[in-house]
Amino acid sequence: MKRGPAILITILVCAFFAVFFVYPAGMVVKQAFEGPDGFTLEFFRAVFENPIYREGIANSFLLGISATLLATCIAFPLALIGHRYDFPGKPALGVMVLAPMILPPFVGAVGVKQILGVNGALNAALAKLGMMDAAHPFDWLAEGRMAGIVLMIGLNLYPILYMNIAAALSNLDPAMEQAAENLGCPPWKRFFRITLPLAMPGVFAGASIVFIWAFTELGVPLVFDFSRTASVQIFDGLKGLDKNPIPYALTAILLIVAATVFSLSKFVIGRSPLGTAPRPKGRANAKRLRGMKGLLCSFAFLGVFLLASIPHVGVLFLSTAERWYGTVVPDEFTMRHYTEALGNGLVVPSIQNSLMYAGCATLLALLVGLGVAWVVVRSDLKVRGILDAVVMLPLAVPGLVMAFGYLALSQEGKPFHFLVGAGGSPFLLLVLAYGTRRLPYIVRSAVAGLQQSNPALEEAARSLGATPVRTLRRVALPLIGANLAAGSILAFAFAMLEVSDSLILAQQEQHYPITKAIYTLLSTLGNGTELAAALGVWSMVFLSTAIMGAAILGGKRGGLFKV
Amino acid sequence: MAEEDDMESIRADTIVKTFGSVRALDGITVTVDPGELFFLLGASGCGKTTLLRCIAGLETPDSGTVSFGERDVTRMPPHKREAAMVFQSYALWPHLTVGQNIAFGLEERKVSKAEIKQRVAEALEMVQLPGFGERSIDQMSGGQQQRVSLARALVVKPKCLLLDEPLSNLDAQLRVEMRGEIRRIVKENGLTAVYVTHDQEEALAMADRMAVLTRGTIGQVDTPENVYRNPLSAYVAKFIGETNIVPGEIVEVRSGFAMLKTDAGPLVGRVTDPEWNPQPGEQARLSIRPEAWRLHKSSGDNEVVGRIAERAYLGQRIQYWIETAAGRQQVVEMNPHIIHEPGEEQIVLHARHDDVVVLKP
Repeated sequence: MKRGPAILITILVCAFFAVFFVYPAGMVVKQAFEGPDGFTLEFFRAVFENPIYREGIANSFLLGISATLLATCIAFPLALIGHRYDFPGKPALGVMVLAPMILPPFVGAVGVKQILGVNGALNAALAKLGMMDAAHPFDWLAEGRMAGIVLMIGLNLYPILYMNIAAALSNLDPAMEQAAENLGCPPWKRFFRITLPLAMPGVFAGASIVFIWAFTELGVPLVFDFSRTASVQIFDGLKGLDKNPIPYALTAILLIVAATVFSLSKFVIGRSPLGTAPRPKGRANAKRLRGMKGLLCSFAFLGVFLLASIPHVGVLFLSTAERWYGTVVPDEFTMRHYTEALGNGLVVPSIQNSLMYAGCATLLALLVGLGVAWVVVRSDLKVRGILDAVVMLPLAVPGLVMAFGYLALSQEGKPFHFLVGAGGSPFLLLVLAYGTRRLPYIVRSAVAGLQQSNPALEEAARSLGATPVRTLRRVALPLIGANLAAGSILAFAFAMLEVSDSLILAQQEQHYPITKAIYTLLSTLGNGTELAAALGVWSMVFLSTAIMGAAILGGKRGGLFKV
Repeated sequence: MAEEDDMESIRADTIVKTFGSVRALDGITVTVDPGELFFLLGASGCGKTTLLRCIAGLETPDSGTVSFGERDVTRMPPHKREAAMVFQSYALWPHLTVGQNIAFGLEERKVSKAEIKQRVAEALEMVQLPGFGERSIDQMSGGQQQRVSLARALVVKPKCLLLDEPLSNLDAQLRVEMRGEIRRIVKENGLTAVYVTHDQEEALAMADRMAVLTRGTIGQVDTPENVYRNPLSAYVAKFIGETNIVPGEIVEVRSGFAMLKTDAGPLVGRVTDPEWNPQPGEQARLSIRPEAWRLHKSSGDNEVVGRIAERAYLGQRIQYWIETAAGRQQVVEMNPHIIHEPGEEQIVLHARHDDVVVLKP
């Protein structure tokens, strides 16, 4: 590849990132430190002196750490069992444990509330079994609201960790373990001396992402009416943004913590000891387990799946229930909510809006991502490593921070105000926000595709008279098409179900995307909750189809999510 | 057969190319005559592939020029150069069939559908794969893939053909067969071709002329016979074929021949470098090919005595390692009818003056 285009792409992408990523994030930090008389730590002092904010930040930390621990406790054993053994039903179970990914956690929270609430299914079941006095039900969520949120988030995020660990384990050359075995190292010692140290970067990379997501989670605490986390406090403070500097300070704290965790995982702990070791060619040495042991493994996967699909079941029942109050399962089923939802003024436009926002955002991410991947893999620019790292940064910056920065910058008279369309349409804002944050998926899948295809294939086309553009269209794109499609589907699906940007940036009903519509329906009187559940089920169906498509196209499940 | 004036010469002039701190090409100049099958030969890392890629336009030299005929193509992008390349890995596109792979270059040149069909069929015929157009690439064996990649490059009737170790992934027997095939096709089509290899036998068997590269510079450019018989340096002598190097001091020089005093006694050899005027007292080296040594045919001069240290019987020939005062000498005897065993018995080695080459130290 010639230097010229590579340099041009690098400059364009860096400029794009500087304007739409670094600037908004930096602006938040700057505002947090800037008082009427220049630099100040006043706002931070205000935050830390106020017990309410102190508690919010402490709760966010607690949430992040405990949800990450929970996710690790679920994901690591599963990934290890899956790596080491073959057991009955492994292929299907391996996909089933990814179930949480098809439901935005805050929608799942609605289902969980139905099951764990005072008049929920669990209490009804316990009363029926005679283990609880029906007159004095136990309020599971009020007693342990924090625990409920942790459980919800942990159960929702463990698949990310599971896939990262599974990918890390499968990238290990089986010969490394076999060599240890051959030198007389027993299985458990082998695990601690060889497998674990080598898989550590994957574990930490996944764990840091899970922590950042949990630490800044907005939807679930909102649905559980738990306002004492930093994320919800920022959300609540958005109304009086011009007068109140506290949300800026809170957002800056979230950003600093997230960035620190991400860089720690990336540069300190996560440095791969494998270096540039070639990809393993040896055969994986999964041991076939028969009888009880095999079934035990199957049950472990099945148990996690059942536990993780409680929210799905709750949402599904809720969307089809005539009435569901104080019973184990709804008394009567109906399809009424689905048809009613179609007549609701919020639902149909929200689906159209989401399709448009997510579609355009994916296209944007695809264009930028392809260019970046091209430079990273095919050019010899010295900065290509930096470029690769820069485009992965959106993983480190919480959606909440970006949404907050975009909102603040798009106010009347601010630099991004031109992005707000006629009638206050957040189209451009959301496309940029979705697109930037989904870029890593596209870049990773395109880089993987290009790395697997021999550069000589493109050079051959050039030497036979194809222009660079024709070479891209006729040779490079068809060869990495499957990878790109897989990355795009994921980017599209996650954009469809994005929470923070959608809740914060879409202000008028006619511009709401699906997630904001669901959130609004939840607080609507009447059958709003049921309509929201129906919309949630639709997105579940959509997302599971999309992810399965991506998995089939992408070949390996793990690779796409690997950070 | 292409017309003589269709052919183009290729000239690379003082090409310099560095990768980081490594100087891959250090001011190389080569001229390939029209219609010539020219070889770039060298050990791995000598810069031969980099030079080929500079000619193809896949690398841009830091300085120096590449010209095809009268045209300076140094800054021309690869797709405009009409220099079709055959890659070491074949680089066949797995998402296209054999026929589609071959048709690619013609489609890029906006050739009509009917003509494409006909020329693809002809190209398949030429590489002896008629009727294979519908096959997918992974249904083809290594040798067949090699032919497809050759057909793909040839079908566009390029001004010049560039081949990057095209036979290195084939097994030994197929390699020998394909040598003749490639030379036949290149000559039948009247192409100017540059062929990169590290296999000296391939170069000796196929080349019109060859350039031996060493660490980014040219060691020697000449016909295979001349490079083999009149090497200009010890490096070239050692790289092309086997040779015994014996150091010594020049005692006498007369009409292109020189006599050296070596540890094993006086030896006479031919001076190959026309630009070198060796003087008595100067240090020099002798290169004597294993087949130039003859066992016990004593003629009274150019003789060395030794004893057999080891031997290896190779059927058509026998190889001896003979310990002499000037070091261990490798000797090859074709079609041996007496086989000597290693031992203390004294052996006399003799070489004709013509077969010994005097080189700079």
